This record gives sequence, C-alpha cells and structure tokens, in this order.
Amino acid sequence: MVAKQIQQSSRAETPGHAWLIGLAAWAVPGLGHLIQRRWFRALLLGGAVWGMFFTGLWLGGHLFKPGPNDQGIAALLQLLPMTANVGVGLPYIYCWLTNTGFADHAQMVTYEYGNTFLLVAGLINYLAMLDAFDIAAGRKQ
Amino acid sequence: MRHLFWMTVFAGLTAIVFGVVAKGSDRQRLVYGLKVFGEFLFVAFALGWILYFLPLR
Repeated sequence: MVAKQIQQSSRAETPGHAWLIGLAAWAVPGLGHLIQRRWFRALLLGGAVWGMFFTGLWLGGHLFKPGPNDQGIAALLQLLPMTANVGVGLPYIYCWLTNTGFADHAQMVTYEYGNTFLLVAGLINYLAMLDAFDIAAGRKQ
Repeated sequence: MRHLFWMTVFAGLTAIVFGVVAKGSDRQRLVYGLKVFGEFLFVAFALGWILYFLPLR
C-alpha cells in the first residue's frame, strides 16, 4: 500500500509555477518565499543569504570564475567554488558583469572568512531555493 | 576576538537557514536551529584546542 502511495505521488506532476518560483528564489534570495507570502521565512532566508554575501565581500573575500589562463584541472578547480558562488543568483551575475568582488585581498586578516561567507551564501541559497520550490509544489507546508 | 566574532556570525546565519528549511513544527525547527548553532561553535572550539596542542610549527 505504501509502495502504491509512493508510486501515485511520484506521478503527480509538478505545477509549472513551482519552477518559476524556484528560479525566482535562486535569482533573488528570499524572493521565492516572498512571492508565496511566506513573509517571515523570506525575511530569515533572504536576510541570511544577503547578509552573508555582503559580509563576505566586506571581509575581503573574493568570488570565483574561470580565468583565461585556467585550463584543464586548474579550470575545474575554479568551477567547484564558482558553482557555490553562483548559488546567490543575480548578485553574482551583477558582480560578474561589473567585475566586482573577484580581486584577491589576501593581505586582510579576514580574507579566508570572506571567502567562506561568499561560498556558503550561495550554498544556503540553493537550500532556500529548494525549500521555495517544495512549498510551491505542495510537498511542504 | 575578531575570529571568534565572525565564526559566531557565520554559525548564526547558517543555523537560521538550516532551522528554517527543516521539517517539523515551529518549536522543533527552532530547537534544531539552536542545536546546529551550538554544534558549529562546539566543533570549532574542539578543533581549535586540538590544533593548539599539535606541534605543527
């Protein structure tokens, strides 16, 4: 019976708007929950991601992107942290377009903290995005 | 003190997200978030003291 229920639920189609909400949640941290009128969740999740992102930049952290000289393994090593950075959505794209936040500030004491804040900001926004998607798809309250 | 402060900020912000996206009642999620926060700090202190006694220099 449980197997039948699982089979039935897996057949249930994901509503189209859930994908859009997931996209919005990725693009602007907190927006996915804001659209669904989850004000408090939006405030906490958006506040945490935005706060972590700006704190990371302020602490001297830098964003990752494959450079023109990176090839092979070196490019791959840049891709992993870049994937984490891209998690913050439009703020990363804005920084990429304006070439902001990619410079090293290794002389700052808090440089490594900044990097960690920036990486984790993207990763926790992926979690927030999945949460917004699940709520929109009716899989979560 | 600066390191301790930023580590606490990091633990707090991450714990907020973990608590919010967790399943369960509001109370359960609050307790989970506080637990995650405490675990972050505990592990950081434990590792810090272990590294302090290791002859790495």
